[in-house]
Amino acid sequence: MLYINDLIKNYGSFTAVNHLSLHIPEGDLFGFVGPNGAGKTTTIRIVCGLLRASGGTVRIGNTAAAVGSKEMKRLIGYVPDFFGVYDNLKVREYMDLYGSMYGMYSRDIAKLTDDLLELVNLSDKKEVYVDTLSRGMKQRLCVARALLHNPSLLILDEPSSGLDPRARVEMKELLKNLHSMGKTIVISSHILSELSEMCNSIGIMNQGRLLTAGRIEDVMKQIAGGNRMRIQIASGMETAQRILKEQAGVKIESVRENEILILSNCTDQAVNAFIGLMIQNQVILTGFYKEEGSLETLFMQLTGGGAQ
Amino acid sequence: MRMRWNPIVKKDLQVTARSMRLSWGVFAYETVLTMAFLLALAVIQQESRSIYTTGNIYGYLIYLFPVLSIAQVCIVALIVPVITASSISGEKERQTFDIMLTTCMSPFSIVLGKVASAVLRILFFVMAGMPIMALAFVAGGLSWSYLFYFILTIILLSLLSGSIGILCSALCRRSITAVVLSYVFYFFIYILTFLPVILRALLTDGERMGESMLILLINPFIFFEEFFMQLMTGESLFGASGSNFTRGEVGFITYNLSQGKVWLFLSAACILTLSILFMLAAAWKVNPMHSSSGKKRKK
Repeated sequence: MLYINDLIKNYGSFTAVNHLSLHIPEGDLFGFVGPNGAGKTTTIRIVCGLLRASGGTVRIGNTAAAVGSKEMKRLIGYVPDFFGVYDNLKVREYMDLYGSMYGMYSRDIAKLTDDLLELVNLSDKKEVYVDTLSRGMKQRLCVARALLHNPSLLILDEPSSGLDPRARVEMKELLKNLHSMGKTIVISSHILSELSEMCNSIGIMNQGRLLTAGRIEDVMKQIAGGNRMRIQIASGMETAQRILKEQAGVKIESVRENEILILSNCTDQAVNAFIGLMIQNQVILTGFYKEEGSLETLFMQLTGGGAQ
Repeated sequence: MRMRWNPIVKKDLQVTARSMRLSWGVFAYETVLTMAFLLALAVIQQESRSIYTTGNIYGYLIYLFPVLSIAQVCIVALIVPVITASSISGEKERQTFDIMLTTCMSPFSIVLGKVASAVLRILFFVMAGMPIMALAFVAGGLSWSYLFYFILTIILLSLLSGSIGILCSALCRRSITAVVLSYVFYFFIYILTFLPVILRALLTDGERMGESMLILLINPFIFFEEFFMQLMTGESLFGASGSNFTRGEVGFITYNLSQGKVWLFLSAACILTLSILFMLAAAWKVNPMHSSSGKKRKK
């Protein structure tokens, strides 16, 4: 769906986006992660035609249209991080305004507005002035507005920033709902736990570079040293340590009285083999726990911190 | 095929109509116009009692028209930049401009919509002032066609003022800076265009002006002066019949342009062209694909 090839953005001598290449397949819910100043918003603004790239190409689907062209704009629905409002404009009129800007007729806009407001749970707010809505409602209205022209790609720049917990949950549910409808969605966010729950693929950026990208389970495999495992031992501690040290891909992280903490990037078969070897060598195991790697761990390893 | 409004014009008019600012604006406009009318009437009455006149007031009432027209032009020239200079910068301040740019509207349509809505708002004011203007026509014995020409002139001048405002709005991030910059532009167009003429006149004792006066084609002040001269007296600023200048005093082009109504129409065309150029420059500036994007956006 979205193909970014060798994208560069320079601000004078500062490089905000450095040779970024990325492919987001159709139907994906892609999470763009990175600390402040990583280049996420710059990348999104270039894709949406709000910023001129210093180099590289952006393509959506099979269209050969240039970034910023009408054809390209029709394919993108953009939800910015901050929702600005007009005083004295009702929700219905707000939708009508943006629908008209996409060349749609008022009658068609009115029909779609009803459906979209129902989708974002704002049906009862149709005749309410936009500036009186809560921030969460405004953000959902902005999503409805971005969907008005039925774009192929929905891009949300930090949609949960400044929202209260309830509004965040509502936003998350809305995005999951849209994803289940087959929309391709790109979200940039700082809230990693939220992204790991929602997205099926992610990209991690730092200092303008895309450090890693792909399906979430594939990316998680890249956690340095592999997954953390906790082995609890009743007797045969020294034998167990000796066996673990002999295994390739296993690193002992810490040893306590009855517990060894290891980092392993072995396959499940290899793990089964060294556990079996321990039992054969009279090591009495009382517990074995495999800790799942988290997006936070990976993020911290790759960027050295910077997100929630 | 159905005719479509520019969505920005529709939105701006809708939002303005619901705002108290429009009501207060019309009230202020009417008040100023009424004051100008009463003041002009008082002066005319005073003049008609003078020992040097016949005491017939009706001969002087014709001057109500230029007084009211000049008052309206001054108000328009002052308020249009305020309306348009805050239009794009206001959208930027509200952070609605980015969304606007991601839609299918071209930057020129956005700029045109903003200027058109400003001109339409000015026409509201002008129309609201029509009853007062009508008094000048009834009492002054002027033709109604003059009113039509006057409205055309107002549209032209508000188009120029609007395009200056929109360009400044595109250049500045803050509305207040854009308004100030608009008046700087005004200073250049209304005042500094006289500079080459004055300098040339001083250097040559007014005997060899060359083509220095051509710059005044874009001066709205001269255009309006010429408009009134033509309307009220049928004469030109540059002479009653043909040019006031001799062939040696001014250049060939100036000499020929100062004949009859040529200057008036050419000046209107120049002002219109200048307005379009300002709007194109504003559209170029707001187009993210054209304008220099060397500065990082403040979050």
